Amino acid sequence: MNLNIEAEAQNTYDAIVVGTGISGGWAAKELTEKGLKTLVLERGRDVRHVVDYPTMTKDPWQLPHADKLSAEELKFYPVQSRTNWVTQANKHWYVKDTENPYTEVKPFDWIRGYHAGGRSLMWGRQTYRFSEMDFEANLKDGVGVDWPIRYNDLSPWYDYVESYIGVSGRAEGLPQLPDGKFLPPMELNCVEEVFRDKIAEKFNRKITIGRVAHLTAALPHDPSRGICQSRNLCVRGCPYGAYFSSNASTLPAAAKTGNMTLRPYSIVHSIIYDEKKGKAIGVKVLDAETKEEIDFFAKVIFLNASTLGSTFILLNSISGRFPNGLGNGSDQLGRNLMDHQYRAGADAKVDGFEDKYYIGRRPNGIYIPRFRNIGKDKRTDFIRGFGYQGSASRSEWSRGVSEMAFGEELKDSLTSPGAWNIGITGFGECLPNPENRVSINKEKKDVYGLPTLNIDATWGENERAMRTDMKESAAEMLEAAGFKNVTMFDNPDNMGLGIHEMGTARMGRDARTSVLNKWNQVHEAPNVFVTDGAAMTSSGCQNPSLTYMALTARAADRAASELKKGNL
Amino acid sequence: MNRREAIQRTVLALGYAISAPALAGVLKGCKAAPELSYKPVFFTEDQARTIAELAEIIIPKTSTPGAKDAGVPGFIDSMLNEVYEKEDQDSFLKGLAAFEEDAKNTYAEFFTDCKPEDQVALFKKHHDEALAAAGSGGPTGWWNTEAGADKPFILKVKELTLLGFFTSEPGATQVLQYNQVPGPYQGCVPLAEVGKAWAT
Repeated sequence: MNLNIEAEAQNTYDAIVVGTGISGGWAAKELTEKGLKTLVLERGRDVRHVVDYPTMTKDPWQLPHADKLSAEELKFYPVQSRTNWVTQANKHWYVKDTENPYTEVKPFDWIRGYHAGGRSLMWGRQTYRFSEMDFEANLKDGVGVDWPIRYNDLSPWYDYVESYIGVSGRAEGLPQLPDGKFLPPMELNCVEEVFRDKIAEKFNRKITIGRVAHLTAALPHDPSRGICQSRNLCVRGCPYGAYFSSNASTLPAAAKTGNMTLRPYSIVHSIIYDEKKGKAIGVKVLDAETKEEIDFFAKVIFLNASTLGSTFILLNSISGRFPNGLGNGSDQLGRNLMDHQYRAGADAKVDGFEDKYYIGRRPNGIYIPRFRNIGKDKRTDFIRGFGYQGSASRSEWSRGVSEMAFGEELKDSLTSPGAWNIGITGFGECLPNPENRVSINKEKKDVYGLPTLNIDATWGENERAMRTDMKESAAEMLEAAGFKNVTMFDNPDNMGLGIHEMGTARMGRDARTSVLNKWNQVHEAPNVFVTDGAAMTSSGCQNPSLTYMALTARAADRAASELKKGNL
Repeated sequence: MNRREAIQRTVLALGYAISAPALAGVLKGCKAAPELSYKPVFFTEDQARTIAELAEIIIPKTSTPGAKDAGVPGFIDSMLNEVYEKEDQDSFLKGLAAFEEDAKNTYAEFFTDCKPEDQVALFKKHHDEALAAAGSGGPTGWWNTEAGADKPFILKVKELTLLGFFTSEPGATQVLQYNQVPGPYQGCVPLAEVGKAWAT
């Protein structure tokens, strides 16, 4: 008995953070900086900034098979490779699907990275605020439930996060896409400038440079991070720390406090609920290396295991009080799974500008903020809207495959850049639908003997109608700009491929219809906070990571002050 | 003087003691030059020689390195061996066999036995036909996945050659230009200031 008490004391912290990705890193930083002894649990291996980026400086000829996976390797990644992004240079960041099964009741691409830093290492780095319009949308449209917060609740936290991580962008003064604390914007190229001017003239729409979590100027508070060098090898891990990742930024900050214990290979599979105390008291961990079961305890628990990871943990936390998953009195846990649809848009050839080129591989593109269903623009066939991402560039050597030339003639012609092309794809909002859901599958076990997830979700009518407009409006703008051979595209796009899965433990005002309150606390277990994508009440059409970070910083502040007051 | 004549003259001039069947083999060309600069794993040596010659026809050595200098033949062998799925391997070999068959029907020899100008003519015939049949593809980008259609054999070879060549150090740095650390992006620069196309 004494031994147990001793073990329990040893395994007790002020706070536990589950996950080290984009939101977990923020929870770790904020809680430790507020003086809380914090255990940070990561299910995969540790990845130290720079030291553990094995391919970060490899030249093209130093990677086997021109960076392509071998057929043998591809067998491990049947789902991850649906992105077409898994390569020799980054394969170590993607989970092996063979070891991490789930069930696609309907096709769903679940793209994951199980290691310290999670997908903050591989993310697209596009960084946008949600607007007042987004927080009001559900209430106005009568869709899902109302967000329990408004833009003003989150705005100071957007400021705080942007200032810390460094976001490059241009202020445009648009209500639907609020400006932030920006470092200098990256440049548009010549053709993108023309496109911007034509679209402003003919449609009164904005085209802006993408807002990205890249340093275009030094960060005085973090001299360890350097300025972006336009290598566009971000996904391998950046030797300059020029883009934001947990590994480059928040985890080192948390470590610096001396209050963080980072424990890799720690698979949290459930939360321990004490029926007598009527509260969550800790988490159950399966050590991925030793297969040992270990309990850890804390006054406050932050779930940042990614949308579906956190949802799995809650669903798998069964007790007398919570027979259907911790905090699931509303039966909304696992429901309302959303993502962003994309890969529908248009591209075109651009005549002229043959005497213009660019220097650098800009890890960014153009952004066309949402214009649909705003102000006087009203569609009758769908609600909400979409933004566009894309770029213009000159075609490079691969164009030679389809050229008639070969031999010396081909070799000569490819030494000059080819014609300019331009393309844009929509990123469209997805409505919350309770039928789009995940649930626990006890029959199918993973390699650790843990149950797995069933994912049963698909796009709805609103998304399909929007998708048609995503293509047509793209073509309309490219035509109006005077570009040639405008071609619409609509490529296969399973749910999940946007890698913006979110919404399965939504925030709301009412414990009967939502899982989390306005501070990201589980309504029915207030010392459990969920601040990753699971918390999202609606999806907007903006890339969501910045919102997860802002929600996390805000919730950590709340957790620390409530702890101090003895309320948790 | 073609290669066949050259071999014949060399043999006669040096007075090599060479058996009739072996001489026939040399003259037929199937076991002799062109030399392979690597040991094929996937291809037979005959197949490897044909692929190497095709790659060099597509990207020849000029004042700058060509496909063979850049190790493209070995690259193609390893791509076929390790990256191609079984059905794609089979389809490639079928295409290669049909190409060899056409060489035989047109010139009555192995492709590598043909005169250089005949090799080029045969490549051009297949290449022109394949491109005519393919139609024109639209511009593509990261948002647009590759079309899944099975390319004609000759375009697969061309694609592999360009891929192997321009991701090689000679192709990227001597034929095109490459900068691992470009520095802050400059979006609108006179081409004359930049010079050649970027390798990546």
